[in-house]
Amino acid sequence: MTKLEFVDLSVRVVGRTLLDRITLSITPGEFVALIGPNGAGKTTLLKAALALRPASSGSVRLANMAVAELDSRRRAALIAWLPQQIRAEEPITSLESVAAARYRFRESHAQSRRAAERALARVGASEYAERAISQLSGGERQRVAFACLVAQEAQLLLFDEPANHLDPAQQLDVYRLLGDLWREGRTIVCINHDINLLHHVGDAASVRVLGLNAGRLAFDARFSDAALPERLGTLFGVEMEALAGAEQRVIIARRRSPP
Amino acid sequence: MKLRVAILIALCIVLLVAAVLVGPDLTGAQGQFIVWQLRVPRVLIGMLVGATLALVGAVFQALFQNPLATSDTVGTTAGATVGALLALALDSSRTVQGLPLVTVCAFAGALTASLLVASFASSRRAHSSDVLLAGIAVTLATSAAASGIQYISDSRALFAATQWSLGQLPQVGYRGVWLLAPLCLVSCTLLLALTRPLQAFALGEELAHSQGVNVPRLRLSALGLGSLGVAACVAWCGPIAFVGLIVPHLVRRVLGPGYRVLLPMSLCVGAATLVSCDLFARLLVPGRELPVGIVTAALGAPALVALVARGRR
Repeated sequence: MTKLEFVDLSVRVVGRTLLDRITLSITPGEFVALIGPNGAGKTTLLKAALALRPASSGSVRLANMAVAELDSRRRAALIAWLPQQIRAEEPITSLESVAAARYRFRESHAQSRRAAERALARVGASEYAERAISQLSGGERQRVAFACLVAQEAQLLLFDEPANHLDPAQQLDVYRLLGDLWREGRTIVCINHDINLLHHVGDAASVRVLGLNAGRLAFDARFSDAALPERLGTLFGVEMEALAGAEQRVIIARRRSPP
Repeated sequence: MKLRVAILIALCIVLLVAAVLVGPDLTGAQGQFIVWQLRVPRVLIGMLVGATLALVGAVFQALFQNPLATSDTVGTTAGATVGALLALALDSSRTVQGLPLVTVCAFAGALTASLLVASFASSRRAHSSDVLLAGIAVTLATSAAASGIQYISDSRALFAATQWSLGQLPQVGYRGVWLLAPLCLVSCTLLLALTRPLQAFALGEELAHSQGVNVPRLRLSALGLGSLGVAACVAWCGPIAFVGLIVPHLVRRVLGPGYRVLLPMSLCVGAATLVSCDLFARLLVPGRELPVGIVTAALGAPALVALVARGRR
């Protein structure tokens, strides 16, 4: 099983510390929501896990191997990523884009295309399979990116704000799909700004919520924790309040905390 | 789609055959000589050079994720120019192993400049935009060196250098074909084998990395192989502008941008385009041949503007 470990990991770029001695272990089958203010280092943490950001000190280990030393294809079998945005300037069709995401498999192009068709069907994007991704709307493009991730068939899935710029219906679809992938046995790490969206994954109570602030781990809690609103409030510098909905707890920001 | 590909290929073949047949009526022994020792080798060289420049252009555009990248973005042409100028300033008549010193020096210069950029590109931390900048830096530096050499050269060498820099295809016999064919074939075949990782590159370099593409290795092999082919072409024919830039865009407009079609079709269309331009250069001014480099530049620039003006599909 694919265990992801950050061992005393620091990432520094000229004069700035992006991640400051993070030690963290993500066990297989977990759903981890990564939350924190802008610039807290959330995206850097995901990129470090993908060996896209070299560690300044410490290390990232994936399936008990240093991730920087893993063979590219082998790494892609273990871990996949949905970036905040995909580049969509080349007017390549959705189907070809998703087929290209099967790079790690040594298979024929016809096989890649069939797998890509299945992945597109799964995310509900079949109707624009033959359209160019440069012509798609933001929501449609996000589905295609999601299909790429599904087609890669990795164990551990990293999501960087998957519901960014989406309307409420599409946000709901995205988080439902995240929940489905999780229940199939995959490990999910998801950067997320709206904590309430986690209700849509189903069984939200067992979601692990990690707070990140200024490159450090601020808290490590469960979604069901009674103290979660307060911790989120401290993290963002606002006063948070939990409202009891008919079925679920909703956490909202009231006002900025007094300085 | 398949129909369009077939039509395009047929059109290319027609153009290539026409390029051999069009011209003054040829009969007798002299006619035989002109066809078999002048026109056919010239068309073959045009095919090799056009195909290589266009394919490398398409590959570099994908690699740099930049529609303005061309086969000489990594300093290949600039390096070749310095080599050629150096040879012309020293002694233009000397040969090395039966090859003109100009060709040998241009080849060496082209490879040196582009491998410098390629070695930078293979670094783990370099991004495509960094590599592009390195290419521009090398181009500027070598151009400065070229100007320096021109400044100290005599007028005969300067005239020869100008002639060289226009880019021409005329051949007598098949020597050039035998020299270029192996290099171009190796370069093009191996570049076509990179289609799959290049396709993954289209959605972004970092995403391709996460999908299992070894990005530094892909960059190094694409740049190395591309420069090898282009260096050979530039060394033999001089710099030929715009083919590597225009042809991939042309193919993209007509057939769409999937690399599985774009790369091989750039090869075909590149061959036909350069040969047609050369035919045009041969016929435009009766009795005098224009260097094909002038024709490609003269036709290429408006073609580019027209493509851009029509907007993105």
